[in-house]
Amino acid sequence: MICHQTKPSRIQHPVSSALLGLTIVLCLLTEATAQSNYAAFELEREENWRPLVLEDVNGDDAKDIIYSHYDPAIGRELHIHHQQADGGFAATPQRIEVKTETIAVGFADLRPDPGKELVLFADSGVFSLSTTQAGYAGNLKLLIEWDLIAAIPDLEETLFTNIPTDINGDGFVDLLLAGDDEYGLFFGGHDETFTLATRFTTLNEDITPVQRVNNEPDLDGRLGINPEQGVVVELRVELPSPFEGFVEQWQEAELESGSLLRSEQWMPGAVLTQLNDDARLDIAYINAGENGLGQMNIHFQHADSRFDSTPNWQSDLDSSGELQLVDMNQDGKVDLLRLSGDGDDWTARLYLNQAGSFNFAGPNQVMRFSGFDMSLEVIENADGEVVLNANFYTIPVVDAIRNASINRTQLLYGSGASEPGQVFNRRPDSRLEETFSAENVRGLSEQMSLRYDVDGDGANDALYVTENGTLAAKQIGSDLRIANEPFWEYVSPRTVFEFEVLSLNDDDRPDLLLRHGRTTTLLVAQP
Amino acid sequence: MLIKRSRWGLIALSNALLFGGLSQSGWSDVPDFKQQIFSLPASAESLVVADLNDDGLNDLSTLVDDRLRIYFQSNDGFDFSADFAEIQFGARAVGWDLSNGFSSNGSTTIIALLDGKQAVYYPIADRTVLEPQVIKSDLPGFISSGVSRLHFARDINADGLQDLVIPGAGEISILINDSGNFEPPLSVRSEVRLRTQLNINRFNRSAGQTIRIPLLDLRDVNADGNADLISRTDEKLDVFLAATGDSYFPASPTYSLDIAAIEERLGDFDIDTLDFSNLTGVLALTHEEILEDIDGDGIHDLLLREGGKVSFFGGNSTGMDLEQPRQVLRSGGNVLSTFLYDENEDGLKDLWLWRVEPISVGDIFVWLALSGSVAIEAFIYPNDGERFARRPSRKVTVDLKFPSVMRLANAYENLNSEVEEIQDQGISRTTEADLEGSLEADDLVVLMDNQIRVFLNTIEPSQDREFLGALGYSQSRDNYEIDIREILNNVTLSGDPNLDVARSQAAAVSIDLDSNISNGDLVAAQINSDQLDDVIVFTSFDASQIRGILLLSK
Repeated sequence: MICHQTKPSRIQHPVSSALLGLTIVLCLLTEATAQSNYAAFELEREENWRPLVLEDVNGDDAKDIIYSHYDPAIGRELHIHHQQADGGFAATPQRIEVKTETIAVGFADLRPDPGKELVLFADSGVFSLSTTQAGYAGNLKLLIEWDLIAAIPDLEETLFTNIPTDINGDGFVDLLLAGDDEYGLFFGGHDETFTLATRFTTLNEDITPVQRVNNEPDLDGRLGINPEQGVVVELRVELPSPFEGFVEQWQEAELESGSLLRSEQWMPGAVLTQLNDDARLDIAYINAGENGLGQMNIHFQHADSRFDSTPNWQSDLDSSGELQLVDMNQDGKVDLLRLSGDGDDWTARLYLNQAGSFNFAGPNQVMRFSGFDMSLEVIENADGEVVLNANFYTIPVVDAIRNASINRTQLLYGSGASEPGQVFNRRPDSRLEETFSAENVRGLSEQMSLRYDVDGDGANDALYVTENGTLAAKQIGSDLRIANEPFWEYVSPRTVFEFEVLSLNDDDRPDLLLRHGRTTTLLVAQP
Repeated sequence: MLIKRSRWGLIALSNALLFGGLSQSGWSDVPDFKQQIFSLPASAESLVVADLNDDGLNDLSTLVDDRLRIYFQSNDGFDFSADFAEIQFGARAVGWDLSNGFSSNGSTTIIALLDGKQAVYYPIADRTVLEPQVIKSDLPGFISSGVSRLHFARDINADGLQDLVIPGAGEISILINDSGNFEPPLSVRSEVRLRTQLNINRFNRSAGQTIRIPLLDLRDVNADGNADLISRTDEKLDVFLAATGDSYFPASPTYSLDIAAIEERLGDFDIDTLDFSNLTGVLALTHEEILEDIDGDGIHDLLLREGGKVSFFGGNSTGMDLEQPRQVLRSGGNVLSTFLYDENEDGLKDLWLWRVEPISVGDIFVWLALSGSVAIEAFIYPNDGERFARRPSRKVTVDLKFPSVMRLANAYENLNSEVEEIQDQGISRTTEADLEGSLEADDLVVLMDNQIRVFLNTIEPSQDREFLGALGYSQSRDNYEIDIREILNNVTLSGDPNLDVARSQAAAVSIDLDSNISNGDLVAAQINSDQLDDVIVFTSFDASQIRGILLLSK
């Protein structure tokens, strides 16, 4: 394990000798707060890409590794590798049996004992279970009875869920549970008590199941090799009807293909976020509107923590594409960012939150992009300025023919010089273009991320996978330019494919999770 | 509603009223319909056509919220406003189906599996649904909440009695009906496709669950005339040979292939050891299991491919010796797939082993901007009735040509735009139907331009798709080509080639619909007692009703 850290000053322009001294001091401060040592723990699982949860279940203020394990002879288990005082993890996991009835597992601090308990979701109830007590007898406690929207457990993999969360800010964990065509909101109290606060449906009950059917056109391609047709390539245009499969002529002996059971229970998912001027979490969701497009719904949390069972605000919107709720103008309320398009033609529409409502008829800003695999992220730079990072790929024909290469582009739009009423500057403040070919293809495993502060200096860094499969970070200047050279690199013995910066203990030092092809490495920063 | 007949240059007009018919004497080969306007509750989720009261007329069953509503047909048609009965199942999780195996007189009834534990049927006397009768209690099932269609009754052992197939979490229980009593359940692991999402804070995403359990694979594996059970999961391929003991199926598999062990032998994909100059080398980690009769004795044999190694295990009437393969063949290169097909027409299936040329990361970068091609080769090993030849007798090459990725992306985008345009203009719908009892060709019914149009004898009986038929396969030709550019150019944008017929020919019958149809559809089904198809036309739907017209053949 090698970690290089050569972060320069964030001041890039020519400096006078007086400023030079200041620069050196800043560099020293930066070095002093930066981390170069990690305790590394490499976790090898049969299914490395399956979910892995990091929670403190034993109350030592250090997060433990939890994942689902399956053995045909034993069934499902949770394996927990407890974090040690030195930042490493126990090599042998604690094993918790997962009963057949359990559909999903969440985590919440419900009992007086230190650490979080398991919250077990079954088809008709929610239970708590402490990992610090052996077995279920005298440990399992029914929290609430509720018919969950999902009824069948996956007997090979335990599903993890983020349902437990404090919604009304009273310090107790609450539960927002999807049930039979409705959500139930349960507020938590002392001694693992929960009270049903409200029920609401996220389905638009003014439209029919037929109208809810997705009848977006679709192009379907298939390449197959089979003894009936040999080699076959098919391309079909699907124009689904809302009445597709609606009528069946029943015949007794006609069951040679198809399914024994095909069942679907879905409803629009609810989001907890701040949508009006108070500091309380509100509920938002998008369901199908009568016009064939979408409809945004908001239930505001009242001062007494109450939610109404019907939306306090609704509006039709085109909900196609990628929608994000993110605070783009730093007013403490989330705004809506919609990215639509396909191929290399994309449009971002930005709608600012107006004290709990939106005008979807007129976006505050429209931005167009040309490139493949477009993604947008809103971040804040070291100066507190909101920045839009547009990340995409282009295939310049000449380069592609001559060098067999493609380009990856980062465009950073600041917000300091935006037009009145708009959010981001009209033109990008900086542009970083990198070229990839067969020689450095490993660098394409994940897009560059500007979300993380890898060195804990309070400023986000440009974190990326290098062409050698290592993880590196470049500095983002106050002028939003991404430095040419990395100031930090973590050289792992295995190629890095995914990364995440997170906090695995109660210190302020950023820790890391690196996914490799067959293993995952946890890096806990050390003093 | 305006009705025109153009075959004889005649236009007949008629306003369709409830139960209104068309006068049509003298035109015996032009179909005549009795029309009936219908409306269903907006929450109706499906419509099943079957005779449930044994009067020779098909009734219509539809799920309305958590109730099953049955609209009974009389000689005058349907009375959608009053002539129906409803079943309230009274359970949180209900799987329902139709069956004619449980009522005392063999008539078709509604059957239901309640909470996975109890199977019942609902007798119907005339137009009244009677109290449910228990088929079997204390079942070991586990089904999803709500009311779903569940095909849980079928005659597995071909004795004329309906057996039960009860889904559980990750397994299926089979209960063989032995003269009205059921054998103890046999539980077999089952491939369950499950997708569950319960998380909050996923904006514009849904929460819920989808479950799909495939039908049982029942085949006569050992040629004794009994349907045997094949269970395939990620870990095992189990074969239960029927009628070998006291119960129809043995409690444990007669033979079993350990697929998990095969995967362990082949190893896992590891990007750190990936050969970027031969990405297709990862095919060495793939495997296939084909359970079919290879040596022509009627008993299924097993062809197992592990990477480039192909093993042939011979089956016998009591099982299969999986320790000792009858033959092992090894192939170099990147083996893509294998299948069995009689190449030399001697009645025995020959082995086709498909290989693909090496593809590098560099190739993929080039194909981003330039068109390319990949050669897929089949090596054919003739079957002599005992084993395959040690060396292939023939090589068939299929050259797969494709445009650049950029051009593919653009073509996809253009197709999408054109499809959206078509959708905005309103999609015409078609259905094939037998409206006049002709054996030569089917008729075509089209819903377009606010009209229902009938085209007689326009749909030729579909031909079975021939082996490599699209490439003009023959035994004397070894080289073929598939050009994806051509396929892209020939995509039928309407998604329905029958519409070309509708646009190029005059309709035998045209029926004007009163309203502007924007999202309608039509389906052919046999509803009344004649042997001709009738047509259900959906004309509109809103928050209160689904509306349409029944065209009942006369």
